[in-house]
Amino acid sequence: MSGTLEAIEPEIRGPDGMHIRAAGLKGAAAPLMLRGLTKRWRKDLPLVLDSLDLTLLPGTITWVGGRNGVGKTTMLRIAAGLIDPDFGRAEVWGATAVENRVRYQQLVSFLPAGDRGLYARLTVRRQLEFWGRIALIRRERFGEIVNGAIEDFDLVDLAERRVDRMSMGQRQRLRIAMTFLSEPEIVLLDEPLTSLDAEGTAIVQTAVAKVLAREGCVLWCSPSGEHLDIEFDARWMIEQGKLVPA
Amino acid sequence: MSAQITALHAFGAVLRRDLYVFLSYRTRIVSQMLTAVFSLTLFYYVSKLVHVSGFSSPQSYFGFVVVGIALVSVMYSCFSIPEIVRQELVAGTFDRLLLSPFGAIRSVVAMTLFPLLYSFMMAAITLGLACVLYGLQLHWSTVPWSIPAMCLALLAFLPFGLMFAALTVSIKQGAVGTTWVIALISIVGGLYFPVSLLPSWAQTAAKLQPFTPATNVLRHLLVNSPQSTSISSALVKLALFAGVLLPGSLLALASAIRIGQRRGTIIEY
Repeated sequence: MSGTLEAIEPEIRGPDGMHIRAAGLKGAAAPLMLRGLTKRWRKDLPLVLDSLDLTLLPGTITWVGGRNGVGKTTMLRIAAGLIDPDFGRAEVWGATAVENRVRYQQLVSFLPAGDRGLYARLTVRRQLEFWGRIALIRRERFGEIVNGAIEDFDLVDLAERRVDRMSMGQRQRLRIAMTFLSEPEIVLLDEPLTSLDAEGTAIVQTAVAKVLAREGCVLWCSPSGEHLDIEFDARWMIEQGKLVPA
Repeated sequence: MSAQITALHAFGAVLRRDLYVFLSYRTRIVSQMLTAVFSLTLFYYVSKLVHVSGFSSPQSYFGFVVVGIALVSVMYSCFSIPEIVRQELVAGTFDRLLLSPFGAIRSVVAMTLFPLLYSFMMAAITLGLACVLYGLQLHWSTVPWSIPAMCLALLAFLPFGLMFAALTVSIKQGAVGTTWVIALISIVGGLYFPVSLLPSWAQTAAKLQPFTPATNVLRHLLVNSPQSTSISSALVKLALFAGVLLPGSLLALASAIRIGQRRGTIIEY
């Protein structure tokens, strides 16, 4: 089954307000489209993803669940542009990460599961400044964005603390702050609530709400049965490489 | 223009990050300076044993070998790049660099800045310590020319680090072969003794890498060592190595990353 929320508006516009058809991007009427994603890790193993389709529309949050090892993280990694599918395409406004890498990565931000992706010897502020620069945030807004992230993700008291001296929950807040730092249009979250307390969870929900308010979209993956208190626009499960309604 | 400035800021951010991480290990610079002092002391006393043709005095050989020692630190910094990439893979930060608009290729190139600048500084400190502690006589009138010559040498050395970084992305091991390559280059590059002492087949190997012309040029500029070949031809060789190998090594790195993405092995470490 295809995970499409609703019929696609033909007049929808891209992130720059540019008409999609005028840009020559055929059928590119959604921020994120996963089309026929197929992935197999080894020939002797079954397909992890089997012609999986999913479309995320502006201002929507979608949940995808499933058992451990069912393919959620693989789907997110392909959607983020980290790995390629064997078949199919992951498109952001009609273009894949290979076709327009910089633009793709400016629009998409990915929070991987776990606690990796931090420099242990850097302070919180320096970490955010580093990733802000690497995200090519324009210098006119750089200070405002970094300081805003420190406040929004409750990192003020930790700003000058090194990452290797922080708790797991504090590190997760920093990783989430890094994910939302560049004000991405498409946010991919893999088990974002890991190690977070109630306050941390509320911070994530606020950050997600801001993305949705600016007509961005969020794809949230976690094991089945969690986060039922969050109002998702669509809920799917991955079973045998395909999406089924949750 | 604004995009280029933003990208330059990103290069600067990688440099600053590496500086901050380096400074967080407070004793590292002290231990590296002590290592330089021990090496200089060792070769100062070895030089007193040297009485061979080509060196008019023990001090002449000491000047010869000090430049070699200084260049070894630069060579080590080039070959440290694959290990740095390996650390990024293990920490999960390489994924993030790959998924950033700045990108993995530019990030890896930016990662070379701090080790190269630092090795440049350590080379200068080594020469300074040799002057102060053991009376090395620098040829001051040509010393300023050693800076652009060193920059050219770095551009010629860098592809070796980038190619090993590409190998690290592919096979996930940082120091595979680099120790052997460094040892081999130390011998055929003439870092500790003249290449003319080697058998003829090894002298041929000396011509196939940029370290020999680099040491020749820098020895001439820093301590006025007599040259077997002209300085201009050595500089042309360095420029050719940089011009041919640098694009090739960047292509190798880009290919290793793309293959890793296609196979899905880029996420492994």
